[in-house]
Amino acid sequence: MKRTHIIALILIALSIGAVMATLADASTYVGFEQADSSPGSIVTVIGTLDRSQPMNYDAEAGQFTFFALDKEGARRKVVFMQPKPTDFERSEEITMKGKSLGSDFVATEILMKCPSKYEDQAKVGSETAQAGF
Amino acid sequence: MDYVGELLWPGEWGRFATSLAFASALVAFVFYLRSLHVKNAEGVARSRKIGNALFVAHSASIGLLIACLFYLIVNHRFEYDYVWKHSSLDLPMRFILSSFWEGQEGSFLLWSFWHAILGLMLIRFGPREWQAPVLAVISVVQAFLSSMVLGVYAAGAKIGSSPFTLIRELPENIGLPWTQMADYLERIPAFMDGNGLNPLLQNYWMTIHPPILFLGFASTLIPFAFALGGLYTRKYTEWMKPALPWAFFSVGILGTGILMGGAWAYEALSFGGFWAWDPVENSSLVPWLVMVGAAHLMLIHRNKGGTLHWALILSILSFLLVLYSTFLTRSGILGDTSVHAFVDLGLSGQLLIYLLFFTFGAFGLYALRFRALPKSPTEDPLGSREFWMFIGSLTLLASAFQISLTTSIPVINAVFGPEGALSWMKTKLAPPIEVAEHYNSFQIPFAILIAAFMSFGQFLRYGANPRRGTLKMLMRPLLIALVLSIGLSWAFDLHRDFLLLLLLLSATFSIVANADYALSVLKGKINKAGASTAHLGFGLLLLGALISTGRQKTISANDSFIAKDFPQNENVLLELGDTVQMPPYTVRWLGERKEGNYRYYDVEYAEIARPEKSFVLSPSILMNDRMGNSPEPDTRHKAGSDLYTHVTYAPLEPEPTDADGYGKEASVEMHKGDTAILDQSFVILDSLNSNFGYAEDGSVSKIEVEAVLSVIHLNGNDYKARPVYEINGSERGYRDAVVDPPGLKFRLDEIKPESDVLVIKSWRKTVDEKPFIVLKAIVFPMINLLWLGSVLMAIGTAIAVVERIRMLRARKPA
Repeated sequence: MKRTHIIALILIALSIGAVMATLADASTYVGFEQADSSPGSIVTVIGTLDRSQPMNYDAEAGQFTFFALDKEGARRKVVFMQPKPTDFERSEEITMKGKSLGSDFVATEILMKCPSKYEDQAKVGSETAQAGF
Repeated sequence: MDYVGELLWPGEWGRFATSLAFASALVAFVFYLRSLHVKNAEGVARSRKIGNALFVAHSASIGLLIACLFYLIVNHRFEYDYVWKHSSLDLPMRFILSSFWEGQEGSFLLWSFWHAILGLMLIRFGPREWQAPVLAVISVVQAFLSSMVLGVYAAGAKIGSSPFTLIRELPENIGLPWTQMADYLERIPAFMDGNGLNPLLQNYWMTIHPPILFLGFASTLIPFAFALGGLYTRKYTEWMKPALPWAFFSVGILGTGILMGGAWAYEALSFGGFWAWDPVENSSLVPWLVMVGAAHLMLIHRNKGGTLHWALILSILSFLLVLYSTFLTRSGILGDTSVHAFVDLGLSGQLLIYLLFFTFGAFGLYALRFRALPKSPTEDPLGSREFWMFIGSLTLLASAFQISLTTSIPVINAVFGPEGALSWMKTKLAPPIEVAEHYNSFQIPFAILIAAFMSFGQFLRYGANPRRGTLKMLMRPLLIALVLSIGLSWAFDLHRDFLLLLLLLSATFSIVANADYALSVLKGKINKAGASTAHLGFGLLLLGALISTGRQKTISANDSFIAKDFPQNENVLLELGDTVQMPPYTVRWLGERKEGNYRYYDVEYAEIARPEKSFVLSPSILMNDRMGNSPEPDTRHKAGSDLYTHVTYAPLEPEPTDADGYGKEASVEMHKGDTAILDQSFVILDSLNSNFGYAEDGSVSKIEVEAVLSVIHLNGNDYKARPVYEINGSERGYRDAVVDPPGLKFRLDEIKPESDVLVIKSWRKTVDEKPFIVLKAIVFPMINLLWLGSVLMAIGTAIAVVERIRMLRARKPA
């Protein structure tokens, strides 16, 4: 079936195209320093909440600010133009999509990883151990 | 030691049932296999019957296993880890089912429950000659699935995770002092109540979506088993006839399950929409797309022959993709990219082994039989129905491939990333920044093609080029579709984007053409109209998705008080009782009320044009101190559009303030002359004054630094503030500057001489502030088309299944 061969070729070409496009569209995880070196372009930073610094949610301006530490330990003030995510204080890790703007990092999207229930239970386990003795 | 108050017998029965289920599935497999190799007819039948009996025993064990776990959950036996983790005393009965399958172990049980039911149906109603090969495959899969809940340690490796593990038996608790207390259940308060069900799952959709979705996953096993059975027994083409109704069953159920997931997300989650291209959603969509392709390829083969290889490959692939999806969502590998993957239970190795076993097993068998597979005789005419069905199926495969590829970025990292097995890449890949745009750039063109094939495909004939009249018959629906889509593009302002316009035309064409075909060609004969109805439904679904996502409007968004480069504020602030304009509505927050664990926020909407037409929406927050609070949206459904709202923020406790009522601390670092935004005001550091105090000996004993701040408040007025920083010997002190009205307090908090920087802190008087909530409201036009399409798709596939079964029966000799 010659036509099938042509179709198979088109299919393979499409797949290669999809692979290339995915690699082209894929972003990389960067630190704040790297984000600063390309101001205005959108990047993904994984970091943690800096609990030593204040966070503030200004409802009127619709602006949530906090300080984050990236994996290299660099600290930035992060401005998030959305309400404060629920249980933000409990987050273990924060994935921030956004761009560097001046000395701030303006985030458009935030994903948090919270301690899993499993670990919660481990905690209860140790608490109960203390309760026992 | 005898522990006080533990209920052990359900757990022991449960573990016994697990072992029995595992063993009986394995032995059933052996007998089914034997029946394929025995030479005499009597032996064949005997082995098959023993296999069937064992499979029934296996199913009964699964039933017993489920009953035991259920008994423990209903009776709140919190000494069991699974019960403690997933349920609690205050959980209403209607959510007990949800807590059953919230965890991995329970969802494995649900999955194997459906496999068992489908296997029993095959034993009872299925064609006898196919029982042994098909149930042999099902039995192996069941043995693997049962082993996922075995929870035993063999040679240092953990095999499965049992839902009947006691908390004191967990590896991390072994040896802890309290496990040595006989009365630990009575002494330790943590065992009085369980952790409870994740609030996001406390929703009626979560009681029906998982069983349907898992039935969908389970149903992909049947065409897979038939395909492997056909290859193994060298009945290379005969397997498709009995497998075809199952393939359509799978298309219908899995599709419904996925769309119910979308409905759950839309009704109960707060991301605003029915589809977010989340990896977990994607990994259930991909097997469905492949199964739709497989079903159509089987249909081609039944009617015209050919496409055997593709039908085999896609039937095998669909089930393998379900396994792959299981691996993705349960191994913890998606942790960085998905919000709702399962937590890793340390079973990813086992899952990977299964995935590889079935992948190599299935494709190995295919390769082994490759040369023996019959060749397709002729080439299909370009204008034939099967040719375009074939192209359509391959388009579905391509679409599935693209979605799967991007979803697999974490897997690509794990294999090729810097810490990966092959480490070809220097950095880890992150998912595309604009996820939706990335997927849409592929999936919209695919959808355009699929919808177009669905439109004219039905009018074509099998095995021949179209008759002369066919083109003429197609002209009418095409013209109607053209007029309709011009109208729609004008009404919904869709004409700016060429691809969207094409999709609009293509989707409308598929709707009109299939409706036309059902009415004028099939003359409304329901039993023949399965395909038309399902295709019509799919067209409506595409149209609904296109308009509701393409033209969704966040009406709570506003551009005030933000800098140019900042993203838009998509939320609106509502103070109690105040009326706020949010075109086309004015909104007013009426107040808060508590019902059980819910806090409802009643928001009144009145149309600006017709203020007498008002309604109230009550988005809520489900309070849960153990797992965090979760917002639940409220949506107004109207025929033409939905108004979706949820509370994105509500102060649940009064703000912490100092004695004078100042709270909301903010801080900023400033140089002289800098301007900063502090709490709704522009603050300019004009100048610094220093005063020195001298001791009697003439040395400097006291330094005061005063910052002169100009404050431009949001209310338009200008103020001056002069906070002072004091150094008195070794003492540091502040004299805060209070500006009231408007109720602001400033502190010169720190001086960093090395960098010439001052740290200014500010507070706002919050005691006088009215209570407020922050709300997001989105209008989704025409989203009902999507739900209507979903229902029609389900009905259409159901008709097709019934019709296929009828045809199977009719041809069977009495």
